[in-house]
Amino acid sequence: MMLNFFDQFMSPVLLGIPLIALALLLPWILFPNPAARWINNRLITLQGWSISQTTHQLFTPLNQGGHKWATLLISLMIFLISLNLLGLLPYTFTPTTQLSLNMAFAVPLWLATVIVGLRNQPTIALGHLLPEGTPLPLIPVLIIIETISLFIRPLALGVRLTANLTAGHLLIQLIATAVFVLLPLMPTVAILTASVLFLLTLLEVAVAMIQAYVFILLLSLYLQENV
Amino acid sequence: MLSRLVLVSANAAKNSSPLGAGLVQLSRLHTSPNSQAPVPPLPEKGGKTRHGIFPEELFQLLYPKTGVTGPYMLGAGLLTYFLSKEIYIINHETISAACMATVIIYSVKRFGPDVAAFADKLNEEKLQKAEEVKALAVASLAQAIEDEKKEQWGVEGQHLLFDAKRNNVAMLLETNWRERVHTVHNEVKKRLDYQIALQSLHRRMEQEHMVSWVEKNVVSSITPQQEKTSIAKCITDLKSLAKIQQAKATV
Repeated sequence: MMLNFFDQFMSPVLLGIPLIALALLLPWILFPNPAARWINNRLITLQGWSISQTTHQLFTPLNQGGHKWATLLISLMIFLISLNLLGLLPYTFTPTTQLSLNMAFAVPLWLATVIVGLRNQPTIALGHLLPEGTPLPLIPVLIIIETISLFIRPLALGVRLTANLTAGHLLIQLIATAVFVLLPLMPTVAILTASVLFLLTLLEVAVAMIQAYVFILLLSLYLQENV
Repeated sequence: MLSRLVLVSANAAKNSSPLGAGLVQLSRLHTSPNSQAPVPPLPEKGGKTRHGIFPEELFQLLYPKTGVTGPYMLGAGLLTYFLSKEIYIINHETISAACMATVIIYSVKRFGPDVAAFADKLNEEKLQKAEEVKALAVASLAQAIEDEKKEQWGVEGQHLLFDAKRNNVAMLLETNWRERVHTVHNEVKKRLDYQIALQSLHRRMEQEHMVSWVEKNVVSSITPQQEKTSIAKCITDLKSLAKIQQAKATV
C-alpha cells in the first residue's frame, strides 16, 4: 500500500461509523472525579492542584465579570491538553489537527468575547481599535489595521492550533520514516536521526501543552479587553 | 485493570509514580441522600503492577498452570504471533512509538518519586492545617485547665483574705461606733453641764436676790432706835472686851 503521510489526519471511520465522537469523548475517562473525601489519592490531589494553579494564573488579571468564564475556559484547556498529548501516541488520531474542530472552538468563543464587550461597554470595546498615543495622521489607517487584526483573531486561534499540531505530527512521521528507511542501510545515520526524533518528541510534548495553554490564554486576553 | 492501562498510557499519568497509577478511581461514596455510614479508608498503595503496566493479578492468575515464566511466554508468544502474521507491521510508527515510550519511561522514572512526594506533601499540608487547629484548641483548653486549677488553689487561700478583710471591717466599724458613742457622750455631757450650770446660776441668782432682799429688808427694818441701842451695846461690849484684854495683858 502507498504510504500517505496525510492518512493520519483523516477523520477515522469504522464500517461507515464516524469514530471522531469516540475520539473526542474517551479522554474524559482519564480524569478522576474528586471523591467525597477530604484527603484524596495522589492523582486527584495533583489534578486539583494543577487546575487551581492554572485557574489562578489565568484569571487573576481578569475582573469579576471574566471569572464567569473560568469553568468554560479551564475545562476547554484540560480537553485540549488531553487531546494533544494523547495524539502523540502511535496510531492515535488527534482531533485537534482538524481545522473544523479548532475553528469550532475559536470562532464562537472569540465572537462571544466581542459581543460581550460591545453589549456591556461598547465605547471601551470600540476604543480598543485605536491604540493610545497614535499620531493624528495615522489614525484612519490604524483603525483599519486594528479592525483587520480583530477579525483575524479567530482565524489565527484556530489555524495556530491546527498548524502546530499537524506540522508536529507530520515531522514526527517523516523523521521516523527516515530512521526506519535508514536503519538497514546506514545504521549510524539512523541512530543520529533517531536522536533528532527523540528531541523532536520532547518538543512535540511541550508544544502540545503550550499550544493548548496559548489558545486559552489568548481567549482570556480577548476577554480581558472586553469585560 | 483496564483503567490502570489507560492511566499509564496517558500522559496525564506520566507525572504520577507507577504506584499511583493503580489507585481506586471510581467509588460510589455517599451518593444516596440517606447514607450516613462512615466512609471506608483509601488503600495505602495502589494496585501492584509488574513493569509498571501489567497488573500483578495476571501473574497470579497464570501461576498455577504455567509457573513464573508463564506470562512472559505469553507476551513473547503474542508478540511473535502478531509480527509473523503481519497483524502488527513494523513501520515508522514503531520507531516513533519507541521514541515516545523512551520519553514516557524516562520521565516517569526520573520525576515520578518527586511528583509523588509533592502530592503527598500537598495532602500533608492539608492535614497539618487541621492538626494545627486541633492542637491550638487542645493547647488553649489545657491552658484553661491550668488556669482553673490555679484559681481553685487561690480560692483555698481566699478565706484567710476574707477573714483579714472581715476583721478589718469589724475594726473599722468598732472604731466608728466608739467614736460616735464618744461624740454622743460628749454631747449629752454638754447638755447636762448646761443644765447644771443653768440650775446653779438660777440658785445663785435666787440666793443673791434673796440675800440682797433680806439684807435690804433688814437694813430697812432697822429703826434708828434699834440702831442706837445696838451701837451702844457694841460700844459697851467693846469696852468690856478692852478691859478683859487689858487685864490679860497685865497678867
